[in-house]
Amino acid sequence: MIALLDPRLKRLSLQKDDLPAKENLDQLPTYEVFVQVKEPRPFKHEGCVHASTPTMALVFAKEQYSRRGTCSGIWVVATKDIMVTGYSDNATDIYGRFTETANCQGDEYSIFHMVKRGTQHSFAGVVKAASPQAALACAGKTLPRKKPVLNVWLTKTANILKTTEEDKAMWATTPEKLFREAIDYKTQEKIKAFKENH
Amino acid sequence: MNIDAIKDLAYKMADDQLIIGHRHSEWIGLGPLLEEDIAFASKAQDKVGQSLAFYKLLEALGGQDPDTLAFGRTAAGFHNAIFAELPNGEFDFSIIRHFLFDTAEFIRFEMLAASAYQGFSNLGKKFKGEVQYHILHANEWLQQLGNSDDKTIARMQNTLDYALPYALGVFEPSKWEEALLAEGIFAGERELQARWEERVHAALKQTGLTLPSLTTVEPVYGGRYGQHSEHLQPLLDEMGEVINSEPGAEW
Repeated sequence: MIALLDPRLKRLSLQKDDLPAKENLDQLPTYEVFVQVKEPRPFKHEGCVHASTPTMALVFAKEQYSRRGTCSGIWVVATKDIMVTGYSDNATDIYGRFTETANCQGDEYSIFHMVKRGTQHSFAGVVKAASPQAALACAGKTLPRKKPVLNVWLTKTANILKTTEEDKAMWATTPEKLFREAIDYKTQEKIKAFKENH
Repeated sequence: MNIDAIKDLAYKMADDQLIIGHRHSEWIGLGPLLEEDIAFASKAQDKVGQSLAFYKLLEALGGQDPDTLAFGRTAAGFHNAIFAELPNGEFDFSIIRHFLFDTAEFIRFEMLAASAYQGFSNLGKKFKGEVQYHILHANEWLQQLGNSDDKTIARMQNTLDYALPYALGVFEPSKWEEALLAEGIFAGERELQARWEERVHAALKQTGLTLPSLTTVEPVYGGRYGQHSEHLQPLLDEMGEVINSEPGAEW
């Protein structure tokens, strides 16, 4: 074997024959977070958090995704427990793809819809079904929708950890925390006044 | 009502929140993960916000304005428990302190909500929800670390044993205990401690940690009446560094 002299090529480890497994990332698993800004609006996907347990995910989600404005509840689901359909073309309802006959009996599934690209999924309702495929068929048949659905997320409702009625007290004072709003510091006005006086 | 007794309790609570809030804020950028960093930062803001409410109450009772109260006193004028001013140390101490301290805070707010003095009952009701989140956060970490491997449990136990004398210092007897009780302003430090012991015991029972007999623990008193550790003044210097660089400047 010819020795590689270029350090950049050496770093590429071109000479290795073995195939090591990809290393795990030094991260905790992720949980998807759904927030209800106000009752009775639907729970809407906001993002994810890294956490070691579902409860810890809820604890973190509260500060990551409901630090400002109002909030009346949070749901968290382990990312691995959410099933995702493909995307339909704009203006085409994704449910047209699922032709399985709907047998709407079994475990409860929670269904989340994306109706516009660039927006996040919102809770659309629950169905009962024996499998995720059957849940999709039942959702297509039973869930009301005004616009074509472009993408669906679903999970067994039992996978969702939800805040309780008692937890709502945690957000009682959030709308008053104006110090978290940049606009409350009136920086532009102060800079303007300073410039005028100097 | 006994205004001196009310002021005494209001100072305690205001200074507790301000100082622990500052300590919490020191985790910003250093938390074990980004989410935890933000959680500590938020709780710090809550605490400082709570201290502001109590300083405003003191101002209404004839005191100085909140900024002067917060940044214009030296350590000897502060009424916080020494527990609040201890440096963060490592994460285990921060979590143990957070758990022991905020459990007491939560009960204090609960007791305040039942106060015959409306200024207190309003604030007690208002902030109970915020502290409810703080103890949820503290308890979850306590359960996680207190139920993990032997090395972690031993370390947490060590820290708990170290923290307890300071934690009991939170309940330092008030000069106004009798007046507060007699007028229904506050059910008192002894009652608070009894309720705290019950809750702390219940939470620790679900972990691998053990609560030593508290009668054998010598409380570290002094903070409530200005006798502080060497850690408070440097904290105050740092906290007031900007405002004291040009007193009276407009922000």
